[in-house]
Amino acid sequence: MPMISSNPPSGGNKAQQQQQQEEMESSTQESPLNPNAFTFDLPHPVYAMAFSPSPFAVASSCSAVAAASPRLALGSFVEEYGNRVDVVAFDEDALAFRPDPALSFDHPYPPTKLMFHPSPLPPLLASASDSLRLWHLGPETAELRSVLDNSKSSGYCAPLTSFDWNDEEPRRIGTSSIDTTCTIWDVERCAIETQLIAHDKEVYDIAWGQAGVFASVSADGSVRIFDLRDKEHSTIVYESPRPDTPLLRLAWNKVDRCYMATTMMDSNRVVVLDIRSPAAPVAELQRHRASVNAIAWAPQASRHICSAGDDGQALIWELAAAAAAGGSSEAAITAALEGIDPILVYTAGAEINQLQWSAAHHDWVGIAFSNKVQLLRV
Amino acid sequence: MVAPPSTGLQQALQAVVQSVHWTYSLFWQVCPQQGTLVWGDGYYNGGIKTRKTVQPVEVSTEEASLQRSQQLRELFESLSSGEANLPARRPCAALSPEDLTEAEWFYLMCISFSFPPGVGLPGKAFARQQHVWLTRANEVDSKVFSRAILAKTVVCIPLMEGVLELGYTEKVEEDVALIQHAKRFFTDYFDVHTKPALSEQSASNQFASADHALYHQQAPIMHQMNMETHASNQEEDDAHDHNEDYNDDDDDDGDDDDDGDGSSRSELKGMRYGVDVSMHHPAVAAAEEEEASELMQLEMSEDIRVGSVSDCSNNLDVEHMPDGESKKERQDHDFSKNWHFLLEDLGNGFGFQQSLGTQVQDFSSEDAHYSETVSSILRHNMNRWVDASSFSYLVRSHNSAFSMWSCKRDHTVSSQGSSQWLLKSVLLNTRDRHRKLGDGRDGEGGNKLQKCAAQEEVSANHVLAERRRREKLNERFMVLRSLVPFVTKMDKASILGDTIEYIEQLRRRIQDLEGRNRQQTSKRQCGSQVGNCKLDAQRRVGVSADKRKLQVLEGSNGMATTSVHVSMSEADALLELHCPCRDGLLLDIMQTLHELGLEVSSLQCSSINGVFGAEMRSKMKEAYGRRTDIVELKKAIHQIISDH
Repeated sequence: MPMISSNPPSGGNKAQQQQQQEEMESSTQESPLNPNAFTFDLPHPVYAMAFSPSPFAVASSCSAVAAASPRLALGSFVEEYGNRVDVVAFDEDALAFRPDPALSFDHPYPPTKLMFHPSPLPPLLASASDSLRLWHLGPETAELRSVLDNSKSSGYCAPLTSFDWNDEEPRRIGTSSIDTTCTIWDVERCAIETQLIAHDKEVYDIAWGQAGVFASVSADGSVRIFDLRDKEHSTIVYESPRPDTPLLRLAWNKVDRCYMATTMMDSNRVVVLDIRSPAAPVAELQRHRASVNAIAWAPQASRHICSAGDDGQALIWELAAAAAAGGSSEAAITAALEGIDPILVYTAGAEINQLQWSAAHHDWVGIAFSNKVQLLRV
Repeated sequence: MVAPPSTGLQQALQAVVQSVHWTYSLFWQVCPQQGTLVWGDGYYNGGIKTRKTVQPVEVSTEEASLQRSQQLRELFESLSSGEANLPARRPCAALSPEDLTEAEWFYLMCISFSFPPGVGLPGKAFARQQHVWLTRANEVDSKVFSRAILAKTVVCIPLMEGVLELGYTEKVEEDVALIQHAKRFFTDYFDVHTKPALSEQSASNQFASADHALYHQQAPIMHQMNMETHASNQEEDDAHDHNEDYNDDDDDDGDDDDDGDGSSRSELKGMRYGVDVSMHHPAVAAAEEEEASELMQLEMSEDIRVGSVSDCSNNLDVEHMPDGESKKERQDHDFSKNWHFLLEDLGNGFGFQQSLGTQVQDFSSEDAHYSETVSSILRHNMNRWVDASSFSYLVRSHNSAFSMWSCKRDHTVSSQGSSQWLLKSVLLNTRDRHRKLGDGRDGEGGNKLQKCAAQEEVSANHVLAERRRREKLNERFMVLRSLVPFVTKMDKASILGDTIEYIEQLRRRIQDLEGRNRQQTSKRQCGSQVGNCKLDAQRRVGVSADKRKLQVLEGSNGMATTSVHVSMSEADALLELHCPCRDGLLLDIMQTLHELGLEVSSLQCSSINGVFGAEMRSKMKEAYGRRTDIVELKKAIHQIISDH
């Protein structure tokens, strides 16, 4: 029975599952069957997810979690004004989640992104929806530290699609917005450092490569690199092959900063770019069976990237050195044509909407699908 | 003039490093003007990522290593020579940036370093005139040794007019014997190598042919002159700014507070024209090159020997090679001396692009900016990589949630919704969501292209659908109108109203008829034939009476036997006719209608009891420039009827 092509109705899934379970070494759908995936259920769908930067001592009254435990901030995605951010710690020893309700807070509009301050102190969490907000996750409670509002005299602030916290210059946060601009904030002064009109259309994602260099992707289908030392110029390092196909996500490899990856709308490919050779992608990773929703580079290895999509799979890829070297050899060229295979795969039960790889704990990857968040051990 | 000592130097370096099996050896030369130590020569003996050879023939290891150093040198020059306008040919065996290991990259970077006396390891060695041995170089503060990536052990030995630096990627404890050993290599060569740095530069620059042509146009080169070790990115940033802004003529006077360059620069300018430099001109392709190279040397000679770190390793995608220059020539001693010019080139390169008035300018200046960006990132990359090998592996725990990939896997979740629905909702619907859910703040800015396009599409569909609906309605109203006998007005409301009345009348009539039918059947049963006739007559009378009634009701003209009714709406006409029968009536009517420009589309006629009834629907066309109207048509019809 061919299992690929069409989407069978849910009733037919069971037969498929059984067949596949015989084939594969690990279980497929249900996370309880996979002993190394740990699930946390929430009452609402989750989109934004962030790992805390480094082992954080949780001095909360409700748990005595070890100091070196991964901590997650989870933002809800509800089509309402009132949304919520939950802070959850994961006890690695007990392999259980310890939600921290004292630190959870209400959030206006669903946050499109959450991110912790790159260093553990101060314990700041930034969130973006209609504007950028900084929250202080104090020992007892979470409080709103500042609202970085982009509004000018009109009072209207264009909603933010994403932001990135500069790990080399933690005073800087770059935000991307649907009004085609990227804004660089100085969070210590709570003031705008600079604002650039980055693209012709809405900007969907932004990522820092260096203290003064960032890249952004947009609905106009281009990846552009900006250097704050020279704001007049930007360089297009990639454009989607079909014109005006929006590029939705961008990730810059923080280990080897020559590489970045991006995903397109309705595309199952992850495009890996080398900034040294613009316009020609280093690799196109095309083993997903449905559109890719999220990508994350490995925080400790220079050539590994994880991607997740609507096919419910999270794939870890290793970019071969040949591909990394620019594809000069023949083997690399053929690999570029057919696409390389991932090395690791995990199958969740539903479309995976979010993927984050913990920088502090290299062996944990977090994914979000429907109302669940799972921590996967790599 | 100038003997080629650097070949000897290079050989010495090579010999030294190979004899001790270390990773690299460099010689830092003193630049007389600045009094700083700058790159003299180097030999890289370390790990190589890839080997590219021109010939397929295997070369000996020694030669290969020599080639390697040369290749690195070439790479540096090509990178540093700015975005040449002439895309020059590079030998296919030349290195490209990706081929280098990190250590090699770093070695390359060293070319651009400089140390004032006392600063940095070589600086200290020189100042003290004593060797300095640093064992755990990768662990020390960057102030002491900023280039830790390259080596774990670094030794700086002051020799002659400079400092010999040896580095090794392993940790080696101090060994004076090694130092002596190293020194021995150089005594032979250094006797020759006594020329001041200035005269070394008198060799013409061979490699930047295109750039030379530009040099004579060039305004005084404004260079950031960093007298300090370039250890921080901040300085690099400044240097970048300056390099980029050079054309604006305000860069140097700008924020150079930490460098105090103003005075020294003017000093240099003064020196520029006072220097008498003997030229060494190897064969160059164009005369202009010579001229340009002279000028360049004049400028070069006093200008920065102290390259800022930002000057190096940029324009990674530049393929550059001087015209007519073979690789062999480049390996010449002249070439090896010309590294000084590189620094100038680097700084100039970006500027020069901007000075070009051609269409290439934009392209190259943008590339110049971009390449600076990339180079700063690369540099940064290297600074962060202590041990490259640790980054190659992804450790998979034994109890991993992930399983190995196999090609047979084809299980996917059937996505119920549309593709990327949540992601799209997050990104694409933010504006709507905020508008809907917020305080009613209206959004003005931003790009509405996507939304508008969709809306237009949708509305176009709506328009068409609406039009079709209207047409259908109109048609049906027309039909209804034609069915209902005595509609007076043409508007839809009255049509409907009259239809209602008509239906009620019909119903009453049906009732009457049915009732009469029953009466008559019962009467007939008990009546005679006479009665039948009577009844028949009655019936007939009744019927005709009804008919008459009907006729009266129908006829708007009041005449009992003839009624003509015309109704028109836009281009459609409806004609209802009742009149006594006669031969050829219909034909005449049809002809008349045709003459009047009415095209009959449907016709119903009947002849009952000598009464001709007809109902015609026709479309009106323009005949003789005008259309018929109701009155005219009625007159015509009446005419026909009365004609007979």
